[in-house]
Amino acid sequence: MPGSSKLYGYSGKILRVNLASKEVKIVKLERDLARAYLGGRGLNVARLYYEVPPGVDPLSPENKLFFGVGPVVGTGFPLGARLNVTAKSPQTGILGDSNVGGHFAPELKYAGFDQVVIEGRSDRPIYLYIHDEAVEFRDASGLWGMTVSKTYEAIRRELREPEVQIAAVGPAAENLVRFSGIFFNRSRPAARTGLGAVMASKNLKAVAVRGSGYVEVAKPELFEKIVEEIELEVFSHEQYWPRRVMGTSRILMAANRIGILPGKHFTEPEVPYAFNVSGEMLALKYNVKNRACFSCVVPCSRVFVVKRPGQAFIGEGPEYEALAGMTVRIGNSDLEKALKAVETVNELGMDVISVSEVISWAMELYSTGALSREDVGGLELEWGNMDTVMELLHDIAYRRGFGDVLADGVAAAAEKLGKGFEVAFHVKRLEMIQADPRGLKGYGLGFAVSTRGADHLRSEPFIELSDDPKIGLKMFGVSEATLRLGVRGKGRLVAYYENLCALVDSLGVCKNLAENMNILDYEKTARLIEAVTGMGLSPARVEMIGERIVNLERAYDVREGVRKRDDTLPRRFLREPLKVGGSAGHVIELDVMLEEYYDVRGWDKKTGVPTARKLEELDLVDVAEDLRRRGLIS
Amino acid sequence: MCLYTFPQRNMRCPYAPMVTHVVVDPSKCSGCRYCELWCSYIHEKVFSTSRSRIRVVKDDITGMDFPVVCQRCEQMSCVSECPTGALYVDERGQLKLEMGKCLRCGVCSEVCPYGAVFQDPADGSPLICDLCDGSAVCVAKCPTNALSLYPVSEVVITGVESLGKRFKLAVSEYRKLLERWGIRARIE
Repeated sequence: MPGSSKLYGYSGKILRVNLASKEVKIVKLERDLARAYLGGRGLNVARLYYEVPPGVDPLSPENKLFFGVGPVVGTGFPLGARLNVTAKSPQTGILGDSNVGGHFAPELKYAGFDQVVIEGRSDRPIYLYIHDEAVEFRDASGLWGMTVSKTYEAIRRELREPEVQIAAVGPAAENLVRFSGIFFNRSRPAARTGLGAVMASKNLKAVAVRGSGYVEVAKPELFEKIVEEIELEVFSHEQYWPRRVMGTSRILMAANRIGILPGKHFTEPEVPYAFNVSGEMLALKYNVKNRACFSCVVPCSRVFVVKRPGQAFIGEGPEYEALAGMTVRIGNSDLEKALKAVETVNELGMDVISVSEVISWAMELYSTGALSREDVGGLELEWGNMDTVMELLHDIAYRRGFGDVLADGVAAAAEKLGKGFEVAFHVKRLEMIQADPRGLKGYGLGFAVSTRGADHLRSEPFIELSDDPKIGLKMFGVSEATLRLGVRGKGRLVAYYENLCALVDSLGVCKNLAENMNILDYEKTARLIEAVTGMGLSPARVEMIGERIVNLERAYDVREGVRKRDDTLPRRFLREPLKVGGSAGHVIELDVMLEEYYDVRGWDKKTGVPTARKLEELDLVDVAEDLRRRGLIS
Repeated sequence: MCLYTFPQRNMRCPYAPMVTHVVVDPSKCSGCRYCELWCSYIHEKVFSTSRSRIRVVKDDITGMDFPVVCQRCEQMSCVSECPTGALYVDERGQLKLEMGKCLRCGVCSEVCPYGAVFQDPADGSPLICDLCDGSAVCVAKCPTNALSLYPVSEVVITGVESLGKRFKLAVSEYRKLLERWGIRARIE
């Protein structure tokens, strides 16, 4: 049958670019890898595991940068346009991985590639222009030093191509700030785990991509049917309109109600000024229109205009993490100043979550007197002092004065200063997000075990915010599992959603659909995979792909030295109960949940290392062999 | 010819003889390009932004998302400049392309004042909105209600003069919005 060897949903090709030798190789996508890992995150980590050996310096030419696209990307599936970027992280020394929306991923697929592997280091600043299976190495010496939006504009003008999609790094990455990100068309970053620094360390300022290709799905009729079903479920979902009006910024008020805000560095779980800095306030006074990622029917991004004469500006966003980070976490109640700060962080090219942690950490130490004004280079680091914050943002990005101390992340800053260890809120050296795990215990467990460090997007057990015991009983057999203050069943909850997250990140689907709206379960995912790729997989096999990816990532981390001792949370969350708010009196009972989690995962309870049996069960025989050879499993 | 199989939307547009083009309310467009994808799928059976007959022009500095599609302008340079008559207007007033006559010369694309005639990246043949024979998949699929068929209805606003110059100004401005929602406003 003609075309029977075709990989539907895929472009079927991998691009390998060596920046040192300027060599370009286009190779076929391995069919068995596509079957085992689907694409995106799974495909990236598979290659990272086999191609980047342990001990490699993340900022050396030996590290590799992977851009991966899933099979759903570029089709008309709603909420399916995510790109996954992977490398060894310079921030954490373990898996570096970040997922981003926008329009880059489908453009890459239309240009002919499911994955781009960037190797080596260029001898001078360059940027890549990928168009329809051709790759140009273009001089970027004139772009070096430019902020993110200036780079975006300059490249668009230079290429004379309005439809080009651009991934660029800002000045922070050039200065190897360890939490710098890669920014896609200005305001969509793959920010976590410092991948911007990896890209800049290769002297690569940007990747521009334009493609005129197409994607075909294997079973068009089934695909149309699934799309119609999903559309209907999305449009009738209770979260549809709140998301469309406020995006994730809506979470701020909700977090205030249940007392999980990170106010003043996790000491104020509710704040009296929450409404003034909320998504609701943004929608009331600032938002002017909605924007969406490619092929998405939930336009959850918002364009805002600050209309104050003399200080007026237009921008996009912010999402909850940025909003809470530049307001309550640093004790700031001025929304307009926060918007400016978020824009500045994006322009400089940093991860706003990590930035908010290093600044609020310094502010807490300053407020308790542990850091004096001399220690911080004369800065006035009182809570909410936004003039200082704006100054400090630039100091961090350009590694000046006290900013240089903070630019390697909060764990490194504590080590450099020899103080503040117990209030440095990170897991595996990745800074914590804007939610207090004492009031969201599933999230807390997720932070502790996440394969990239403290982060919610590895598991996103959003369902526990429903506080509906019936769901827990139905999905996990334990009613407590979906109560946010419950403890039992959380291991199962987190493992389930970790697998699902790995799966949708590999397909290229947005977590708003799969996790937050809870629309995509394994059964629907199996049908979707069948419609797009033609692969007939049972729901159990599909879940296994997710589990395989999580285990491979864990194996990668284990090979880099991660053990059970690293699966923990900062002391404040384990020992100091919340004093006020909707979660008052709670600490997080991590040990109990961790025990259950390892049980569900089939990992060694003493060491936290995946067992050989588990790995072999997931067809990771060679990984088991590799770990055995290194003496990590028996 | 548009083979349009969505069960709840397989109805032909009842206004088809009257409707001439797709109009856009750019303040509602989110730039998701869902219209582009389903346009290429319905016409070309593949998902591709480069094979679509509607294109969203975007700018991320200003947040601009502006769909560009054939406006059925009065001059119709694409038809008048076509060297072989491959592009023509049929007896129902619909814009048609006879592929057998088309030279893929790209003149239609060049002369279109809106840049709304696109070229197929594979063979250079013109891609022009044909309203899917009246069912316009882009309008049906748009998730933010930013696209409409025009004109699907008409309102007549009378006695404007008698209500004074402010009213006259307001009506003439508001009329532009009405048009972006598919309503033709006749001021008498």
